[in-house]
Amino acid sequence: MIRILSFTLVVTTGLVCLGVYRIAEQARMTAVVLRETTAAILQEKQSMTVLGAEWARLTQPDRIQALAERHLHLSDRPAPQLASLGQLPPKFLPQPETAIRNANAIVPQPQRPLTALTPAQRAPTVAALHAGT
Amino acid sequence: MAAIAEASSVLRGRIAVAALFSAVGFSVVTARLVDVMVFGAGPVHSAASVPALPNRADLVDRNALLIARDLPVSDLYASPAAFWDTGDAAHQLAVTTGADEQRLRTAFRPGKGYILVQHAITPDMREGIMRLGLPGLDFVENHKRFYPAGRTVAHAVGQVDTDDNGVSGLELGLEQRLRNQTEPVQLSIDLRVQYVLEHEAREAMRSFRAKAAGGIVLNVRTGEIWALASLPDYEPNLRKLETGDSVRNRMTQDVYELGSIFKVFAFTEAVEEKTIRLDEPFQVGQPYRLGHYLIHDFERLGPMLPAAMVFAKSSNIGTAQIELRSGPEKQKPFLRNLGLLQPLKTELPEMASPLYPRHWEEVEAATIAYGHGISVNPLTFAAAAAAVVNGGTAINPTFLKHSDIQHGPRVISEETSRTMRQLLRLVVTDGTGTKADVPGYDVGGKTGTAEKAENGSYAHRLLISSFCGVFPIDDPQFLVFLMLDEPHGNRESGGFATGGETAAPAVGRIIARIAPLLGVERRDTYAAANPSTLHIVTSFGREF
Repeated sequence: MIRILSFTLVVTTGLVCLGVYRIAEQARMTAVVLRETTAAILQEKQSMTVLGAEWARLTQPDRIQALAERHLHLSDRPAPQLASLGQLPPKFLPQPETAIRNANAIVPQPQRPLTALTPAQRAPTVAALHAGT
Repeated sequence: MAAIAEASSVLRGRIAVAALFSAVGFSVVTARLVDVMVFGAGPVHSAASVPALPNRADLVDRNALLIARDLPVSDLYASPAAFWDTGDAAHQLAVTTGADEQRLRTAFRPGKGYILVQHAITPDMREGIMRLGLPGLDFVENHKRFYPAGRTVAHAVGQVDTDDNGVSGLELGLEQRLRNQTEPVQLSIDLRVQYVLEHEAREAMRSFRAKAAGGIVLNVRTGEIWALASLPDYEPNLRKLETGDSVRNRMTQDVYELGSIFKVFAFTEAVEEKTIRLDEPFQVGQPYRLGHYLIHDFERLGPMLPAAMVFAKSSNIGTAQIELRSGPEKQKPFLRNLGLLQPLKTELPEMASPLYPRHWEEVEAATIAYGHGISVNPLTFAAAAAAVVNGGTAINPTFLKHSDIQHGPRVISEETSRTMRQLLRLVVTDGTGTKADVPGYDVGGKTGTAEKAENGSYAHRLLISSFCGVFPIDDPQFLVFLMLDEPHGNRESGGFATGGETAAPAVGRIIARIAPLLGVERRDTYAAANPSTLHIVTSFGREF
């Protein structure tokens, strides 16, 4: 009986040792993975930090203005061109009927001398003929 | 039998001992198992190369755009004993890292220990060093402060030393906060406005061949400094000065006699004390004698001018007469109340104290009235001018973002503030500051042209020309100050180097560019809907 008990205890101890070893190994491997993941996260955060700084450098107003002037031909003094929506006239203004009835297609004659125009330009427009000029 | 019984007893004893050991071993294993399974494996001590944490928090502008950040870099160290050829190693490392070769050759002599080769090794540089294949090199993780805006905001932000300690500007002024805080520190500066201010100041400095320039954009309600520029400037990322660079912040570190721009305070005092009527005529046709001194105007402005036009046309003669009605005994406490006689307190550590005469008599009062005999730094001036136009309450300028309107102590009445705003508008519509006007934004302001003191007297050709603009003048939100140090007239200015011809147009351009960014709406109808109450005064002035 004692032999059986002793044998059982020894075998159980061995199995438990194996179990503990396996768990310890799993924990160690998990710790390695965790360490690598933590380091990778920090590396990524650092990359984001560097990229954020790079983005800030690339979006500096002086660089944007230089690009806008070179490629978009934008003025750097836009104040007269800017207005709020409230300052704009209504999109559809009701027109008085008299104005519509009196509307015509007379176009003012260009001020340039005819000699400076091309033959095609010299041909009087319909609107000009209608106006008698 | 007895022997057998004795042997059996010994065997049982041994078995019992073995069983005890097994039980103890089993208990230990069980306890450890329970510990691992129930309580976990304990903290994991990582031995991986974890990047070093930043030493300082980010600095961002009011729109969260980056101004300063600690970037990860490495410091390179070497053990010279490991090199086969120290001279060759010094040469290769110097070429790759930019370190001083002679210093490395000296440091790599036998018997030397661990030597710093170069600070702030970038990833590209590190790759080049690794390709050298030299033994005995060690990289130590570190940080380098990076300023994406470079020169644009250099003077306000300042810089750090090689150990990441703040040595100037807000880097020094906010040192504890930047060290202790992990979240970014948000400044009141707007990088877009800062760029416009710096750009226009640089253009004006170039156009008028000025020695230096500077400017400030200040919210007159909250006290927030939206932009502060000082030229010449420097590149903070280089950690060294190039030819022509300067680390002096002329807006806070230097004090100037600002000239006629100071008349704002003389007239504020007169209006507050009710010592003048705005339509009251003053003789300005002849130089004004005060003791042994003669006070002149820049040009003859006629035999007489009403008080409002004395301000608009910037007459020293008229201003001196107006100031003397109050006298030095009232002028000094008035200026002190506006904060012009004590050093301004902001987050910037570089702040010069005002200079003013110890003996403050009538002559001093008269000259101080038109901005000579007292020297203040431009930021102090701007803070006092903001109190004059914002309804009459003192503000405390700050570089930290906040949205609260400051309700400092009242320094003048609202009525005086309103009158001063009308006078400032008159300067731009009918006075010396017409070139600062921006249609739709109702700019008010005051010009200043001060002669610099040289060898004990004033030099007529060495000027400090400035303009202080406020907009929109009926309900001011922002103050724009620009100063040029020793400008020279050009064709555009008709050969004049005065504040009205040099600084005023630059301020006009700045306002035209930044007003949309600041959310200030154009009000083309304002002038028609709100005729100036000074119109009569202006007409009156023209009759003289």
